[in-house]
Amino acid sequence: MSQIALTIDGLGVDFGGFKAVNGVSLTVEDGELRVLLGANGAGKTTLMDLISGKTSSTEGRVFLHDIDITNWEEHKIARAGVGRKFQIPSVFKELTVRRNLEVATCRNPGVLANLRFGFSKQAEQDVDRVLDLIGLTDEASRLAAYLSHGQTQWLELGLLITQNPKVILLDEPTAGMTQAETHKTSQIVNSLKGKHTLIVVEHDMAFVREIAERITVLHLGQVLAEGNVEQIETDPKVRAAYLGSKGIG
Amino acid sequence: MSAKSRPVIVIYLAFFALIMCAPLILDPFWLNRIAKYLVFGMLGVAVALSWGYAGILNLGQGLFFGAGAYMLAMSLKLASPTSLQQGSDKPVPDFMLWNAEPGSPTELCCINKASFLWLPFQHQWFGVVMGLVLPVAIATIIGIIVFRKRISGVFVSIITLALVLLVRLVVIDAQPVTNGFNGLTDLAWFKIGEFEFDPYIVPTYYFVAIALCMVLAAARLLIETRAGLILQAIRDDQNRARYLGFDVPLYQTFFFAVSAGIAGLAGMFYVVVSEFASPTFMDLTFSITMVVWAAVGGRSSILGACIGAIVINMISATVSETAGFAEAWKVIIGLIFVLVVLYMPRGLAGLAHDLLDRFLARQKSASQRAVSASDASQLAE
Repeated sequence: MSQIALTIDGLGVDFGGFKAVNGVSLTVEDGELRVLLGANGAGKTTLMDLISGKTSSTEGRVFLHDIDITNWEEHKIARAGVGRKFQIPSVFKELTVRRNLEVATCRNPGVLANLRFGFSKQAEQDVDRVLDLIGLTDEASRLAAYLSHGQTQWLELGLLITQNPKVILLDEPTAGMTQAETHKTSQIVNSLKGKHTLIVVEHDMAFVREIAERITVLHLGQVLAEGNVEQIETDPKVRAAYLGSKGIG
Repeated sequence: MSAKSRPVIVIYLAFFALIMCAPLILDPFWLNRIAKYLVFGMLGVAVALSWGYAGILNLGQGLFFGAGAYMLAMSLKLASPTSLQQGSDKPVPDFMLWNAEPGSPTELCCINKASFLWLPFQHQWFGVVMGLVLPVAIATIIGIIVFRKRISGVFVSIITLALVLLVRLVVIDAQPVTNGFNGLTDLAWFKIGEFEFDPYIVPTYYFVAIALCMVLAAARLLIETRAGLILQAIRDDQNRARYLGFDVPLYQTFFFAVSAGIAGLAGMFYVVVSEFASPTFMDLTFSITMVVWAAVGGRSSILGACIGAIVINMISATVSETAGFAEAWKVIIGLIFVLVVLYMPRGLAGLAHDLLDRFLARQKSASQRAVSASDASQLAE
């Protein structure tokens, strides 16, 4: 049996009486790819915010392996090994693609430790490998501001891969992408399976089918169901939550 | 290191050479003027570092400039002959006597309630050290509070703007210790060993020019480090940097403090070449003028902002002294600024970069053509 990478235990947050996430518990194994599904307002993004430290939880705990990372500062959670991609792609627009990735190779968080020139051979090789993986080798010396939407998303994925965290949280990695771009994204994500533990929020079912192993469905801030693609698609509770209790028409 | 780094080094060296040659053609009056503008160039470097590279638009850079200036001026005031002629064996600034209450002793320790603050400034080097330490300390405190609270963008500008006005008010109000609105005048010359830096001699010019070259080189090297790269990443997207694991406020505070230190250094050099310190250094217009210099020169270029400061000051000096423009020179400077912002948003440095890119591209295609031509001739053989 493989190890548990991420344990979420009764996690919840109370926004002045409104519980966006309410007692969610789930465990994700090392190297697993977990998809989070749910209608708008189900609490998917909020759950990611709670794990990555953007929002402080009001109840429950989060463990990365055996470390309790509940409500740490964001950069400390990131240092502990949780990487996150945002819904709105965010990269360093005034830097070239290569420089973007070089930023992510800096392992030391402090200022003084980074008062040195250049990058190690190892770091440069990592950057080359990631550039190849995300298909931006030819764009390496362009400013990130001039990339297309899809390329920007890949670059942000590339930042995460370079950062090399144990757990990667992806919030709608294919939002706004064409079919071809979505397909390429699924290839990138699939190549990360096994090496990283991934949690992916996604609406695009075609994409979900391409990547998903296990799916957790959230509804109104709580876990509604968990299983593989087939189980979820046929689960009556999930159908009821998505389509209303009487189904369509 | 990119393909552009060699031309950049050449441009820096050319600038260094240019300012080193200035004494060959300038008379003492203009040499002193240019020395002041070089000091302003140093301020341009400070603004570019915080605005262009850290994304922090500090509208109160004058606070750090003023702090540096006052610290050194206090030392030089005590070293001035007039301070020794006030009837005490230890120096006492003349203005303290003018403001003294009847019957108070003519001693620096107790002529008024706060005059003891001046005591350590009897050593010139204490003033020099404080001229660096005070701005850096103020910036660090502001940075820790502001950046930890994740205040950013225009709000930082408003806070710094309010602070410089506040300090200016305090300095003017504390007349017994600061000489208020009049500032500190009648200062001694700055001394290293036995050598006195008379503001109108060539060695003083070189003192400033060499300091500027060192500041330029140091700032440029600083942004070439990994920390400099991370700083630029933070400027572009704080959140992204934070989730890559960087302690964002630490970086912002560090570079804010470095920028403040450069401004403080500039303040001290300004006192050396102009022989006074005054609350006008902390006027709002002065702090905003610095931002204009950097905008015209190119805020994302250390050297650009520096040259912007020097060039604008030279233009305004020439224009304001030309009889026909004596009334209208501010309009002309304003017009230049508007045109630059409209048509060259990256300033003079942006223009230079574009020209350089075009030149490099042409050179590259020319060398490719040469290669293919030689290939063709080889084939023909």
